[in-house]
Amino acid sequence: MSNVITEANWKVHWRLTESAGIMIYLADYRGRRVLWEASLPYVTIDHQRETLDVKDDPGEVHGPWWIPLGTRTLQGPVRVQAFRGGIELSAAFAAGPYHYTQLWRFHDDGRLCPWLTIYGPGVHDQHTYHPHWRFDFDLDGARDDAFERFEDARWQRVEREGWFPYSGEADEHGNVWRQIDVGSGAAITIRPHSWDDAEVFAIRYHDGEWAPYSPRNAAGSATFPSAYVGDEPLDGDDVTLWYVAHVHFDQSFPYTAGPWVKISGFGG
Amino acid sequence: MASSKKAVKAAKPVKSKPKVTTSPKARAAARPLPPDVVNADPTLFDPLTPGEIADALRTLTEDRRLGSMAKVGRYRVICTEPLVVKPPHWMAGHRLVRVVVYDYAADRAVDACVDLDAGVVAHLDLSRGQPMLSRDEEAIAVSIAMVDERVRDKLALGDAPQSTLHYWGRTPADLAYARRSAAVVFGRADGHATVIAVVDLLENIVTQVVPAELW
Repeated sequence: MSNVITEANWKVHWRLTESAGIMIYLADYRGRRVLWEASLPYVTIDHQRETLDVKDDPGEVHGPWWIPLGTRTLQGPVRVQAFRGGIELSAAFAAGPYHYTQLWRFHDDGRLCPWLTIYGPGVHDQHTYHPHWRFDFDLDGARDDAFERFEDARWQRVEREGWFPYSGEADEHGNVWRQIDVGSGAAITIRPHSWDDAEVFAIRYHDGEWAPYSPRNAAGSATFPSAYVGDEPLDGDDVTLWYVAHVHFDQSFPYTAGPWVKISGFGG
Repeated sequence: MASSKKAVKAAKPVKSKPKVTTSPKARAAARPLPPDVVNADPTLFDPLTPGEIADALRTLTEDRRLGSMAKVGRYRVICTEPLVVKPPHWMAGHRLVRVVVYDYAADRAVDACVDLDAGVVAHLDLSRGQPMLSRDEEAIAVSIAMVDERVRDKLALGDAPQSTLHYWGRTPADLAYARRSAAVVFGRADGHATVIAVVDLLENIVTQVVPAELW
């Protein structure tokens, strides 16, 4: 099977990675470059104790764990399927009591859906999933980018790297974050799933910063991607975004996490 | 000085050489494309061949900076993946390999970028970070847990290892806080988890045995 999809106004390359699920790269929409690469570097899971009594609650005794979504956990082939108005890539992964379906859906109107359906029982009911997506959007070239978040009823430019949780405020379309190419005016907007309890890390691009092959840093240090966050300026540079969802198993499962990403300013 | 000026003047006829027939457009087309993400070569992202992986690992283990690691030979190759850097980085367009190794002798992670075109380790980072588990480490963790008496006592008939996850402790009280560890999840054929064994991969011992419902 070819690893290039040319359909629904998109041209996208993809490959299965060892640890970051299906990676898409060098993606163009209507003939213009949108993305250098994007992947799902990890899905961590942590556990809470099953007690309603605050007095007896020991907190989270154990730390998190994870297993890579990739060649070793893949179940069956990676599928490429057309749907009305677009095309999608999907793959199922399983690791013991954890099961996932990773999706990349490309709509002909410029929407992109990096989603993860989570199911499986886990080791017990009280656990939370933390899927981490990494996006390296290069709208009309790598540099000259800006990052904005919707806050105080308007889009506000973010000058420096940081962590930007969803505060509940969004524009009229539900978008919370956006990356703009200052030169061309093209933009990608990110609308979180309302139950994702989502956050975005905006980080200046550095070669080789993908992939850490683990969220785990040295003992006592911040995990990735927070360990990447420094104080570097973003405005006018090359920006990398990490979208992190926090999904508690209490919610009706299966649950599909992940944002809507929409490209605008590309004409058509 | 004057004579030298004249010499320069004398060189003028060179300009009147027969005109180049190619148009500016043709010349521009013949020029190599400027390095830019738009002109990136998709084949650089292609999966590594077995030969490329072997080449990268040979280059890495022959690097003098990793001489002690290669000599002691207590390391695990965690991952080898293609790495593509963006223009205008000087390595843009090179076939690069990201090699991640865990060096048990020094209890450290080795994160290297091998430039296959140049045959060198172009970047080397040594840290206390914890990369994911290799397949070998997953298998070792299972074999250690399977022979541990405390684990065997807790297993019911039909329980088998379901999966092995990279685990780390939340507080310094947990041995897995600073030490490379795996959690082996045992369970029944229907997917129900029953017992979790935490394996310290530095000492090759089971450090915790926990019923799944108490994890």
